[in-house]
Amino acid sequence: RHPLATFFHLFFRVSAIITYLFCDWFSNSFVACFVTILLLLSFDFWSVKNVTGRLLVGLRWWNQIDEDGKSHWVFEAKRVSTTAASTEAEARIFWLGLIICPVIWTVFFFSTLFSLKLKWLALVIAGISLQTANLYGYIHCKLGGQKNISRITSKFFVTADVPKRQTGRISEDRIEEHGKTCIR
Amino acid sequence: FADLAGMAVAEDIPVEGEITVPVGAHGPDEDHSTLDEPVRDTIMRDLKAVGKKFVHVMYPKKSSALLRDWDLWGPLVLCVSLALMLQGGSADSKEDGGPQFAEVFVIIWFGAVVITLNSKLLGGTISFFQSLCVLGYCVLPLTVAMLVCRLVLLAGSGTVSFIVRLIVVVAMFAWSTLASTAFLADSQPPHRKALVVYPIFLFYFVISWMILTFTPQ
Repeated sequence: RHPLATFFHLFFRVSAIITYLFCDWFSNSFVACFVTILLLLSFDFWSVKNVTGRLLVGLRWWNQIDEDGKSHWVFEAKRVSTTAASTEAEARIFWLGLIICPVIWTVFFFSTLFSLKLKWLALVIAGISLQTANLYGYIHCKLGGQKNISRITSKFFVTADVPKRQTGRISEDRIEEHGKTCIR
Repeated sequence: FADLAGMAVAEDIPVEGEITVPVGAHGPDEDHSTLDEPVRDTIMRDLKAVGKKFVHVMYPKKSSALLRDWDLWGPLVLCVSLALMLQGGSADSKEDGGPQFAEVFVIIWFGAVVITLNSKLLGGTISFFQSLCVLGYCVLPLTVAMLVCRLVLLAGSGTVSFIVRLIVVVAMFAWSTLASTAFLADSQPPHRKALVVYPIFLFYFVISWMILTFTPQ
């Protein structure tokens, strides 16, 4: 249902890896390769976080600063009642792309370290952190979503629940709010 | 809890507890319709947010835009352009300025991380990414200074050009430091402000030094 999103999900990640491996063929200049790979990694991070996650698997995560200046990480999962074959395939592509690429960048990290091509190290570290951040965020969403079903039903029994709520769990409260509004 | 749902609360039983209602926005969208918004809207919204932050750096008033909706796109763009403009200025140009480019990158990002850790260890209330966001965006005046320096160096590299560059760099350095201090120092307890400001001063000083001592080949 979302062929363009699937394409772009994989396009930026795979191009970044290919450019890193074959940068000597494309250009002699270290700087051009560095900037190109960095831009590809950034576009990949933004598109996976903001677009392909919510389109392909209905998950989303973000950071929010409330009025006190405290920062909260919010993880949200859409409740999907039907799973068609096409969404299954898209979800599989999403998760495969999400998991395999950070592993590849970790391999690059060790190969760069041991072959002492240290000028690439900054780039590889940037790649690992960006892709691992997305991986971690979405895994957190997924695991949070599976615990959610029982929470949403228990929210309706507020009188029983009230003494148990603590202010510390604002992110989970927000998930409940979203869980209610996201029921389709 | 199913059997408690039908329970009525009698008048004489005191009911107490805590109800926490999330205050503020419910996330990046006010209602759930932006879950399905077209991608173009997402892109335009983020671009406008970045543009607004650049404006806020140039006129540093107390505003929450830089602090509340942090993003790291501006710092990335500024870092890359500054590093691009600074390359090619070393004595040995056997390599094409490769290590120097990565050096600028590492100095800016590692420096920003260290300052953020420092302010958090001193008990600041600002979050990690907010601080990185502010420090990154406040590199804008120095990037402008670099641009001006490069243009001045095209005209010539004598004493006059050095004095012009010195004045421009000092002015932009002061602007950067004041802008970032305006945003960051408020999150600290009053007797700690100097402890937080001096690493920021040092950070922008190092960048200004790199800009001032740049001589093209």
